[in-house]
Amino acid sequence: MEDKRIREHPVLEFERGHEIHFDFEGEEVKAYKGETIAAALYANGLVKFTESKHHHRPRGFFCAIGKCSSCIMTVNGIPHVRTCVTPVEEGMKVKRHGALPEFPKEVPPSSPEAKESKVDIAVVGGGPAGLSAAIIAAQHGADVHLFDEGDHQGGQLVKQTHQFFGSHLEEAGTRGIDLAEDLLREAKKAGVNLHPGTTVLGYYPEKTLAVESKNGLEIYHTKGIVYATGAVENYLAFENNDLPGIYGAGGVQTLMNEYGIIPGEKVLMIGSGNVGLIVGYQLLQAGVDVVEVIEAMPNFGGYQVHASKLRRAGVPISTAHTIKKALGTDRVEGAVVHVLDEDWQPVPGTERELECDVICIAVGLHPDNQFVRQAGAEMKYVRELGGFVPIRTEDMETTVEGVFVAGDSAGIEEATVAALEGKLVGCALVERLFGTSDEISDMKEDIKAGIEQMRKGPYGEYPRRGVKLCTLDEEVC
Amino acid sequence: MSEKAGAVVIGGGVNGLGTAYHLAKKGYTDVVVLEKSYVCSGASGRNGGGIRQQWSSRENIKLAMESTKMFEGLSEELGEDMEFIQGGYLVLAFDEDEVERFEKNVALQRKMGLNTEFVSPEEAKEIVPQLNISKVKAATFNESDGTIYPFLVVHGYARAVREMGVEIREHTEVTDIEVHGDEITAVKTDKGIIETDTVVNAAGGWSNQIARMAGVELPNKPYRHEIMVTEPFAHFLDPMVISFHHGIYFSQSKHGNIVGGIGNPDEKEGINQRSSMWFLRTMAKTLVDFIPQFRSVNMLRQWAGLYDTTPDAQPIIGPVPELERFYQLNGFSGHGFMVSPVVNKVTAELILGEEPSMDIDRLSVTRFEGMDLEQEYSVVG
Repeated sequence: MEDKRIREHPVLEFERGHEIHFDFEGEEVKAYKGETIAAALYANGLVKFTESKHHHRPRGFFCAIGKCSSCIMTVNGIPHVRTCVTPVEEGMKVKRHGALPEFPKEVPPSSPEAKESKVDIAVVGGGPAGLSAAIIAAQHGADVHLFDEGDHQGGQLVKQTHQFFGSHLEEAGTRGIDLAEDLLREAKKAGVNLHPGTTVLGYYPEKTLAVESKNGLEIYHTKGIVYATGAVENYLAFENNDLPGIYGAGGVQTLMNEYGIIPGEKVLMIGSGNVGLIVGYQLLQAGVDVVEVIEAMPNFGGYQVHASKLRRAGVPISTAHTIKKALGTDRVEGAVVHVLDEDWQPVPGTERELECDVICIAVGLHPDNQFVRQAGAEMKYVRELGGFVPIRTEDMETTVEGVFVAGDSAGIEEATVAALEGKLVGCALVERLFGTSDEISDMKEDIKAGIEQMRKGPYGEYPRRGVKLCTLDEEVC
Repeated sequence: MSEKAGAVVIGGGVNGLGTAYHLAKKGYTDVVVLEKSYVCSGASGRNGGGIRQQWSSRENIKLAMESTKMFEGLSEELGEDMEFIQGGYLVLAFDEDEVERFEKNVALQRKMGLNTEFVSPEEAKEIVPQLNISKVKAATFNESDGTIYPFLVVHGYARAVREMGVEIREHTEVTDIEVHGDEITAVKTDKGIIETDTVVNAAGGWSNQIARMAGVELPNKPYRHEIMVTEPFAHFLDPMVISFHHGIYFSQSKHGNIVGGIGNPDEKEGINQRSSMWFLRTMAKTLVDFIPQFRSVNMLRQWAGLYDTTPDAQPIIGPVPELERFYQLNGFSGHGFMVSPVVNKVTAELILGEEPSMDIDRLSVTRFEGMDLEQEYSVVG
């Protein structure tokens, strides 16, 4: 089998665990401890992960972070396992199940009685927002439990190998992965109880969470809940858009920067916002050819500095362009793109074919906040924040008492704002639990000033307008 | 602004829209259907889609048998596949009392022309090979029972009535019903007044609130019932499996998911459609007791809807003594979907002054005034 693992990289060093082996449909597959099943299979050249239910079209993995269900397989007799968030283990038996799995034949051992605990704070999501909230609360003496589906915490920071911008924050100039490590270290030091590899199932009145861990069902009765569940990538409608080889930019970053696996040989990047431009450059760093970046708008969307890096490396950035269809039957073999006129209509005669084996979609994100909605929070559609978002107070409390939200799940911005919102929620929870103090009020003022500062730049105008539309005490009430 | 309508139907669920459909089919389209939320937002869009004829009371058996026949023709009638799967209902008995009752039920059902079979636990296991029969004492099976996809039916009716000229107003809440003497004169909503002398109360869990607006007291009480859906699997389960003893029911949908619910005997009366931890845990445990392989299966979602429950668990159909053009179509006590075709047809006939095609006098609200009630025992959940 081929091996798509990156051996040399100018910036990253991949510390792989020891070599292990597992069974994939009767074939022995090599993997490294720490990889997910999906990552290991992809590294070994597997492209088709599942099949669509009705038309049996091949599906690859798309999001790589457990949100899209394109990678589910039967693992050790258990159907519907999300292989992109399940760590690979020695001797595992993995098989695909086509459109629908068979109902299991084996009866697994029973799981123990649900474990019930009373805690102060539950945080859902271990990215910059969740970790920041947890740290502040734990530093002030709260019993904080943080749940995350992944085995690594740090959210999407762990795949961000570029340096952050920002004029006044200490984070500026730091790479995302280092920031994630700092936050994790701080969280551990502050005594946050980290629960990696757990799935929060739902909210139950009052302020109770059902959580699935490796040991079965766990129930947490809390005094406050923070949802920091991040975002989901947007998708684009075009012919053949479900072919394996079409991945979200986040999925590509996970493969490449977290597991050191290249997504393919030749990538067409769709979208020239910062994500598209940065991931394009990261692909070059990993030795992958970026054939072109296309952008539907008349101008590229991200920072000049990122665009220049790509252009210097010879990657064309074609504005006023969109994709018409993907080519190929079992996987991507190319794409047809064309020019758009001022009315967003295709310009006749401009169609051209590009050769590529990966189409990377970087056309923005929308908040992942189904949990907040399930908890009963009042939602509002705010285009400026990427979709439906919870109505919140200035302290980021939703309309459900004691349920807070922070980061992209409250509205799409970027990691620094997510971390600051997390800190703000942390402070609000400390006040809720232990009463207010000068220290906490001062800290809140500083954080709010920091967030305002972040939203002052030209790229901040959009979210600034959005936040106004869903924050109580401002315009809504 | 005031306007006029021949009849106002309150409730955009299967019974409200089904009645509007039968009215429209007879050429009577001067009807406005009012729905305070969206079509199919209440119990009609929250139930398990079970279509069962195995009942203990003569009345319900008759209604269900006739309704099943009508469901069999509904896909053709509405021009769309309603996903009516007649995989049967397997009703499990867990104690001697149930066995005795089931024997009586089967005898009555067979006498009424329904082909229900009394089967042994081993025969039940042949029908559902994964079933744990260690505590099963006996079972009954009727092969023409089944499940239907509720959304397709309700939206099928909605589309059909709109095409025939009936107006459906969603997000329009009834705030009052005006009565002068023994006549209704108008229905007030948050969007305006509609003058009418004929009102159908098909408001499900809210029907007693609606009745009260016209000065009518119904004995109905709303109770939450919860339900869930699992991940999908290749087809393996033909019938709906139910147990009155456990209050559980589950079946496999056409799309492969297991859909099922369980009733909480301690549920408090009231309008509550939130999900509970009790349900999550009890449903999971009970499913595993019935089919141990469920241990490796994830629930995808859980949700809740309202049973509109009467003292004898039978529906209230027809006019009330105080107001002869105030038609009740409620109190279905958790089985309103499966008997809807025939009661909708009869309600339309009553409204138009026609001879009803089935005698449903026993289901009038007047039965609660000192009459002997024929209790329906075969209620699940």
